[in-house]
Amino acid sequence: MSTSSTHETDRPDPPPPEPTRSAGAGRLPAGTSQRIGLLVAIAALVVLFGSVQNSFYNQQFSVFPLLQDVAIFTVVGLSQMAALSIGHMNLAVGRMAAFSAMFMGLAYQRWHLPLYAGLAVGLLAGAAIGALTGWIISTTGVNSFVVTLAMDFALLGLVSLVYSQFTTAAAFTTKPAGMDGLRNYSLADVCVGSVCGSPAVPQILLFTIVAMLLIGYLYARSRTGRELLLVGSNITAARLSGIPAGRRVIFAHALSGTLAALAGFMLAATSGSFTAGIGAEFMIPSFIGPVLGGTLLTGGGVSVIGTLLGTSLVQVIRQGLTTLGIGLESLNIYLGVILLLALSTDRIRSAVVTRRAATSR
Amino acid sequence: MTDIAAATATPPALLADRLVKDFPGVRALDGATLRMEAGSVHALLGENGAGKSTLIKVVTGLYRPDGGSLVVQGQPTALSSPHDAVQAGISVVHQERNVIPEFSVAENITLRQIPVRGRLVDRDEMRRQARRCLDLLDVDLDVDAPVKTLSTAQIQLVEIAKALSTDSRVLLLDEPTSALTLQETERLLEVIGRLRDQGTAILLVSHKLEEVFAVCDTVTVLRDGASVLEAEPVAAYTKDEIVGLMVGRSHTKDAFAPRTVDPDGPPALELDAISTAAGHRNISLDVRRGEIVGLYGLVGAGRTELAKALLGLERVVSGTMRVHGEPARIRDVGQALGRHRIGYVPENRKEEGLFLDQPLTRNIAVTVWARIRRAFGYVPPQRERDLVREYTERLGIRSAGPRQLAGQLSGGNQQKVSLAKWLAAKTEILIIDEPTVGIDIRTKAAFHRLIWQLAADGLAILLITSDLSEMVTLADRITVMRDFQIAGGVPNTHDYEPMSQAVIRLIHGAAPDTAVA
Repeated sequence: MSTSSTHETDRPDPPPPEPTRSAGAGRLPAGTSQRIGLLVAIAALVVLFGSVQNSFYNQQFSVFPLLQDVAIFTVVGLSQMAALSIGHMNLAVGRMAAFSAMFMGLAYQRWHLPLYAGLAVGLLAGAAIGALTGWIISTTGVNSFVVTLAMDFALLGLVSLVYSQFTTAAAFTTKPAGMDGLRNYSLADVCVGSVCGSPAVPQILLFTIVAMLLIGYLYARSRTGRELLLVGSNITAARLSGIPAGRRVIFAHALSGTLAALAGFMLAATSGSFTAGIGAEFMIPSFIGPVLGGTLLTGGGVSVIGTLLGTSLVQVIRQGLTTLGIGLESLNIYLGVILLLALSTDRIRSAVVTRRAATSR
Repeated sequence: MTDIAAATATPPALLADRLVKDFPGVRALDGATLRMEAGSVHALLGENGAGKSTLIKVVTGLYRPDGGSLVVQGQPTALSSPHDAVQAGISVVHQERNVIPEFSVAENITLRQIPVRGRLVDRDEMRRQARRCLDLLDVDLDVDAPVKTLSTAQIQLVEIAKALSTDSRVLLLDEPTSALTLQETERLLEVIGRLRDQGTAILLVSHKLEEVFAVCDTVTVLRDGASVLEAEPVAAYTKDEIVGLMVGRSHTKDAFAPRTVDPDGPPALELDAISTAAGHRNISLDVRRGEIVGLYGLVGAGRTELAKALLGLERVVSGTMRVHGEPARIRDVGQALGRHRIGYVPENRKEEGLFLDQPLTRNIAVTVWARIRRAFGYVPPQRERDLVREYTERLGIRSAGPRQLAGQLSGGNQQKVSLAKWLAAKTEILIIDEPTVGIDIRTKAAFHRLIWQLAADGLAILLITSDLSEMVTLADRITVMRDFQIAGGVPNTHDYEPMSQAVIRLIHGAAPDTAVA
């Protein structure tokens, strides 16, 4: 084992400019080829599954739940994407959803709030717990991996405790007016004159679309979003450029918490009750969607549409395999393989960028 | 000299013959020759950027030379890794500390070849070897103490012991005394003398001429990558002659239109007896509108740290800072920029100045978003594009387009981007740290014109550079820092020879502090 000090090379090292293939793979409006690839893969799989098992196309029993899952897990993916945008992770994404869902359950069952007031309470709870996480990370300087992992455990305990205190069957079952509608309504219930929408499209997708629009605006058009990406790209340079890096870290985690809360609400609305188990399956899918879609694990590059497409691909595979009658265990094996592929793609891409940028010193 | 050496029976311990090393756009070594004899201390001198570090990296196998040859103990040798160098008996103590703080002294010393019994570490043997190496230096240290508990000087000795652990006949010391006190330095020089008497060939890279004259037998001087003095006896030269050889490059004086400093009103930036948590003591200086004040000093003199303290990244413990005459307390860069219009172009552009994986636009526009944003944080894309285009054109940044990633630009263009963001932010005071490191000559000249023009346009510029010729070309006044204090200052006459001598004298503390700027 040699310990050479000033490893690597170069002091003066202008990398060869490569204008032809520039324009930044994985940046917001770029990276289109990757997204087209995803779209093609999704289409191919839809055709494949549908031709093998015709019930895959069943609007009510296959497409409707599929789109419901896509809606929920895209929001989960956006939650993780917010943390990834600054180069952090949120391993507590599921538990933050559970924590917020708990507040929503309390709001409906004990405080008797209407549907959207309860949702607001939950979103606030998510934002608060996320902001706290971000504050801990930025003041202590401890890695986000460690902090969110600890947060995950703390919330796991807290949430179960509250449920056992306040509920009998470990669930808040009070449903405010309008909740059942979110669960069952599709566009078939929306009619203009005599023309109604498709029964395959769940109304809950509306939440996802609103979230996507807001997050898309944030990262593509606003100062804060750009600054988040720059913090993710190089926090030292960000600080030296006058970006309030600490505040941006807190913001990113608060955003992640808020979106986790929204996902928690959507899951509770579609499953019918607020339980401690909400969000337990969020963590791994939360990474797959964004990373497949072109969000950089190292920070500095996000894609909202990509997150939707990445999530859709996963859900199509899941739904397809279920329709084909493949068991849960082997299904998870497939998902694991997909995650691995997604992560390697990200690594290869960032390695290419690094080599081209010659970030050595 | 060469004839005599050839006549003697023993070949030189190390001969690096006419080495050439190219980096893109820069030739770092251009026929540098280094010749070291066993049982002799050899000095390697040269200005910052003369190629000393590159030469050491070639000789220790970190870089491969593009030309020239290496002969170790008479054997032609090709080194492809630091490991090869150790095998060939060449050890180096780099300028940067290179120990594992959590490990014990013994573990650090034997790190290169950890003694094993079977597959397990032989701790007794490890301690024995470590003690043997420390004994060579006549140093008494607890070999079981973790290195993090030691003083800087002791760590330095541990590193030398580590270099000796592998039977090295050639020992390279790159500025070993830069972090040591006077007593510690004397102690180290004694150790060097002892090692020489034991037959080791030692290379000492130092900026302190006193040390060189105290301990070295022979000297090589590098200038612009070539050796202008090859293994001559130190005793044959005076300090002034050596300094003359170090700086004596044909200095091409760029003709700039004369510039006038705004004499009215308070200085744009004024430091009054500033002391910082980083260790600065009693720093006073001022910069006026339209003026370039140069801050010169060796690496580690505390110049960059001072710049960061001004931006609020390092705590100021006493003293006053005034911006346009008003006392200012700056907490972070955002405040420095937003309230006081101070910008900082960092030395290390890749790690601190740029977002390599982001497009050009964002790299430049980062400082203006706060200014041009509208409701809901909306940044008008057209406005952003126009600003970026304006400064890309003004600075002549060559790129494939505003969407090109900063990491794909050449070094000179990257540096322009790093500067452009502060110009776009309409700063009034600009601290520029080592603007032309690793930039080729032609771009360098363009940069000098640019900085000159910025001052002519009324900016107050604090220029930190280790390139003396750049300093003499640009600055109106030169302030020299040493050990986190102001060592003195001289008004710049733009006449290279006398200026460089005056500055080098201030650095080496050879002359009393005269003329304060």
